[in-house]
Amino acid sequence: MSGAGNTAPISGPDTTKAVVSDTKDTSSSLKDQQKPAATLEEDDEFEDFPAEDWQQEDTEIPGGNTHLWEESWDDDDTNGDFSAQLR
Amino acid sequence: MADGTPTGTPTLDQFLAELQRIICEQNGAQLQDYLVIEPPYRQLYTAMIAEIRQRYPKGKEDELEGKCSAALPEAREGADGSPWTAFIKFITQYFAFIRDVNVENLLETYNQLSELVQKCNSALGHPSLGIVILPTVIAYSRVLARLAIGLDKRPELIAHLTKQSSDDSGVRETLPERAANILRQAFVTCLNDRTGTASGVRDGKPDGKKVGIYTIANLCLKILFQCRKTRNAEQIFSNIYNQSPPLSIYPRPERITYLYYLGRFLFSNNHFYRAQHALQAAYDQCPPHRLKQRRLILIYLVASNIILGRFPSAALYSQPEALGFAERFAPLCRSIARGDLATFRRLTDPKNEHASWFLHYRIFLQLKNRCEVLVWRSLIRKTFVLAGQQGDAQARKAPTLDLGYVLQLAQMLEQKALSPLSQLDGGPGRRHTNWIFMDREPPASARYVDPDFAGTEEGRPEVLLPDMLEVESIVASLVDQGLLNGFISHRQLRFAIQGAKRKGALPAGFPNVWEVVKGRCDEEVPGWKKDPPRGAVGATAGRIAAGGFGPGMVVNLSGARPVGAVP
Repeated sequence: MSGAGNTAPISGPDTTKAVVSDTKDTSSSLKDQQKPAATLEEDDEFEDFPAEDWQQEDTEIPGGNTHLWEESWDDDDTNGDFSAQLR
Repeated sequence: MADGTPTGTPTLDQFLAELQRIICEQNGAQLQDYLVIEPPYRQLYTAMIAEIRQRYPKGKEDELEGKCSAALPEAREGADGSPWTAFIKFITQYFAFIRDVNVENLLETYNQLSELVQKCNSALGHPSLGIVILPTVIAYSRVLARLAIGLDKRPELIAHLTKQSSDDSGVRETLPERAANILRQAFVTCLNDRTGTASGVRDGKPDGKKVGIYTIANLCLKILFQCRKTRNAEQIFSNIYNQSPPLSIYPRPERITYLYYLGRFLFSNNHFYRAQHALQAAYDQCPPHRLKQRRLILIYLVASNIILGRFPSAALYSQPEALGFAERFAPLCRSIARGDLATFRRLTDPKNEHASWFLHYRIFLQLKNRCEVLVWRSLIRKTFVLAGQQGDAQARKAPTLDLGYVLQLAQMLEQKALSPLSQLDGGPGRRHTNWIFMDREPPASARYVDPDFAGTEEGRPEVLLPDMLEVESIVASLVDQGLLNGFISHRQLRFAIQGAKRKGALPAGFPNVWEVVKGRCDEEVPGWKKDPPRGAVGATAGRIAAGGFGPGMVVNLSGARPVGAVP
């Protein structure tokens, strides 16, 4: 196998190419800048669940009814920059 | 036994005898337990390794295979008239692996492990005995995945070993892709298993090797996502969609993990509504104390929902796994709701303080590009609230909006967005003391000269601000997407709202974004194998009782009701 793949990220001709290189750069600069605060953000690996989580398979998970989303968010405030500009 | 045998491999002989017994008993769990690959090895294994090194050093693999074959009549003869020689080849490779493995050389270890897993996969292919090795396949795949991801993330570990082979330009597959492809063989074997029931379900549980489908698929997906080769994941999702038993009969950890990857894949392919479905299901099933997993799911779930016009609630922001979400997502949502294009541009600028976070999770471009549509909708709505003509239902005059006002606001906001001040603007209270004296002119970098005219009389740099044509096309596009309800009078340059008589101008002209999106999407999520609809269960119940249902049909009777019962 080619060793090139191990030393440099090879991106296929896909549309995410720009993101790939961007992300690489920023994540490394992130690491440099905010090492202490970034522990939660650095690792985006989706870890395996430990077996003990599943002793009671399919028990109800609490919080299922939490109101998570706002579907009506239109803003009818008529003060501010916009009205000043239109006057 | 030791002193009497000419081979002088008492531990190996004993080990092979144990394997013979395990195969007889078809005890897959114990087989996996025995076939340890990761050092440090227990004393029994070190003794066995020493024996193999002495009696079967490199080059003597044929003899080693002959020994295994002789010691494992159960595998040699196989079952149902089909010998399990693939197992003998695998076990020979196993002995060679533990004989040779040297974790100092990770590349070599990776290659040896790849070969071992491939042999293991071949053994998995045996119609009736293959299932005995499934736990081993899964355990080895896990190690291979970990190694592949580790090496991909820290290429310096093997950089010194790969130099010689770097001119070998014939191979385009990267190291993690190779690992994923090896795992995919096992995945396909599990998926194609025809030894159990036709549906792949027995007593509400996956039957035969199909039990391994999602575990192996998830490992494969983990490699592809960690190594950013997500495009290759498509085949896994489509294979599962076509052939797998329903996801719901698999254990919960497998379901959550699979739906997370499926959601991310759909997100990266701009299928936000489907992504939202998969991720919401993953989130709902994920235990509350698994904050890391919940957070990862929630990042993509929130991003999908914002794009679809559903914003996180205060309750969501206060979840422990949503730490830091409010400062990143709430300003974005606020700028969308207000139609504040200038703030939106600042928040989605790559130089913004949170851009690196959005980029890290690969949601930056999607939020930037997709949410702009919603900002324009709000901007036009706001303009209508401030300057629209309400119309007259009696006189059959529709409410209208002069697009000139939209243009005026859009230009003001774009100009503001271009000024360097707006990029520094932390908002009221966080501005520079001399804010009001600062220059609001766009910088030279924001000005544009067509290269064909550069340096000529006409080629004076200008700031590119939206013109009427652009505003018209944006309104037309929003109408086309169902986000505005009405039509444009091109002659009068006005947008007219339809249906205001019944609903009122605002609800008629600017329908709820989420409702519009939901209305045009169906609930089917490719890649997510769901249970057949209830009606189908009722209809096929008779045929199931007769035992006659076709291949690929999956019937889970746990939710069945009598025909005609009210659901």
